[in-house]
Amino acid sequence: MIDFHTHPVMIRELRRDDPDLERAVREVFQLHFPAQPLELFLAEMDAAGVQQAVLLPIDCTSAHGCRIVTNEQVAELAGANPRFLGFASVDPSSKNAPKQLERAIRGLGLRGLKLDPALQRFHPDDRRLAWPLYQACAELGIPMLIHCGLSWSLLGQAKYARPLALEEVAQEFPALPIIVAHFGWPWVEEALLLALKYRNVYLDTSIVYSGTPRDALRHVLERQIGIEVLERSLPHQVLFGSNYPRADIRRSVRGLDALPLSPALREAVARGNAARLLGLGGRP
Amino acid sequence: MKSVLKRLTLITTRETELIDITAEVRKAVEESGVRSGTAFVLSLHTTTGLTVNEGLPDLERDIADFLQVLVPEDHPYRHARFLHSDGQMAINAPSHLRGALLGFQAFFPIEEGRLVTGGRQTIYFVELDGPQERGCLVQVLGE
Repeated sequence: MIDFHTHPVMIRELRRDDPDLERAVREVFQLHFPAQPLELFLAEMDAAGVQQAVLLPIDCTSAHGCRIVTNEQVAELAGANPRFLGFASVDPSSKNAPKQLERAIRGLGLRGLKLDPALQRFHPDDRRLAWPLYQACAELGIPMLIHCGLSWSLLGQAKYARPLALEEVAQEFPALPIIVAHFGWPWVEEALLLALKYRNVYLDTSIVYSGTPRDALRHVLERQIGIEVLERSLPHQVLFGSNYPRADIRRSVRGLDALPLSPALREAVARGNAARLLGLGGRP
Repeated sequence: MKSVLKRLTLITTRETELIDITAEVRKAVEESGVRSGTAFVLSLHTTTGLTVNEGLPDLERDIADFLQVLVPEDHPYRHARFLHSDGQMAINAPSHLRGALLGFQAFFPIEEGRLVTGGRQTIYFVELDGPQERGCLVQVLGE
C-alpha cells in the first residue's frame, strides 16, 4: 500500500535539532502530541501494512513566517529510506517560487508539489500567484497535491480551500495531475464534480472530521457518493491517504478495508493509482 | 524510609503487544538498596495496561486476542472526534477501554533486597495503541 497523505511533523530527530520547526508544528500546524523517534513512523506504517508514504511539507513563509518541514528535510528523509516519497512545498507568494520548485524537484529529487491554500493563504484560482507554479508543475511533469476543505489548524482558512476554485486549473493544465486532498470535505460534491469531469483530477481518502476513518469513509464514500460511482467512473482517480498524524495510519487502512470495494478498486486505491502517478513500478 | 524512582522507556512496535518487564523491575529493586519494602510499577499512559500473568507466548496471544473480543474496534464510541488539545483525531476509544480493563499498576513486596513474586508470575507492560514510545515507573519504597 501507499499512503499518499502524511505529514512528517512528529519526527523527533527533525524537531530536536530545529527550534523553528518545533514552533511551526506547535503554533501553525497545531499538532500538540509529543514528537516520537523516526523509527516509530516506520513501525506505524508496518503495523498498518503500508509500504510507502508520501511526505508533505508546507511552506508558510509569507503567511506565518515558517516552513512546516523544509524541502531539504523531506529530501533527507526520502533519500535515506525509499519507503518515503518526498513532495516539495513552495510559497506561492515568493517571487521565485517556480525556480524554488524546480530546484526541489531536479536538485533534491522530490516527486511532486504540495500546496495548502488554507494555511498559505492564497486563492488557488489567483492567476498571478498560482499559475506560474501550476505551469512549473506541468513542465516538470510532476503531480500537485492541494489541500481542500477543512483545515484543522486554527490559522487555516477554508475560504481559500474550495475545490471548485480548481476547475480553471484543471481546464488549462490538462496534463497536470491535481490531487484534491480530503475529498474536499465538506465540499465533497464539488470535489466529485471535478474528478468526474476532469481525468487529471484525483481525490485522496484522508477524510478526517468526526468519528473514526471507518465512520467517515463509510459516510462519505458509501452513503454520500456511492461505491458504485467510484467503481464505474473513478477507478483510476482515488488514492488512499491517512493524513497522519492527524489520524493514525492503522485505523485509516481499516476504514478503507471496511468499504465494500471490488478487489480491483481496492488495489487501485491502495496502491495502483498512486504508483502510476508517481511512476513507481513493481508490486507492493 | 527510602524512595527510589526508576523510569523505563519502551519502544513498542505493534498495536497490541505484551512486553515482559519483570527483569527490569527486579533490577530496579536490587539497585535501589532497599532491603524491606514495596515496589510499585505504574504505566504513565491511558492506552496501555499493566498486568501479571504466566509468562507463556500462548497466553500472551490469548490475552491480546480476547481484549479485542471484549472491546471491539467497530462500535459507536463517543471518543471518536477531533481532540483540539492534541491536534489529532481521538479515535482510540478501544485502546482506552482495554487499558481500563487491565489496570495501570502492580505492586510486590521486597524481602531481603529482592522482589517477591509467585513462581509463575511475569509482569507485563501492555501496549494497546502502538507503535509508540512509552514510559513506565518503578517506585521502590522501604528501608
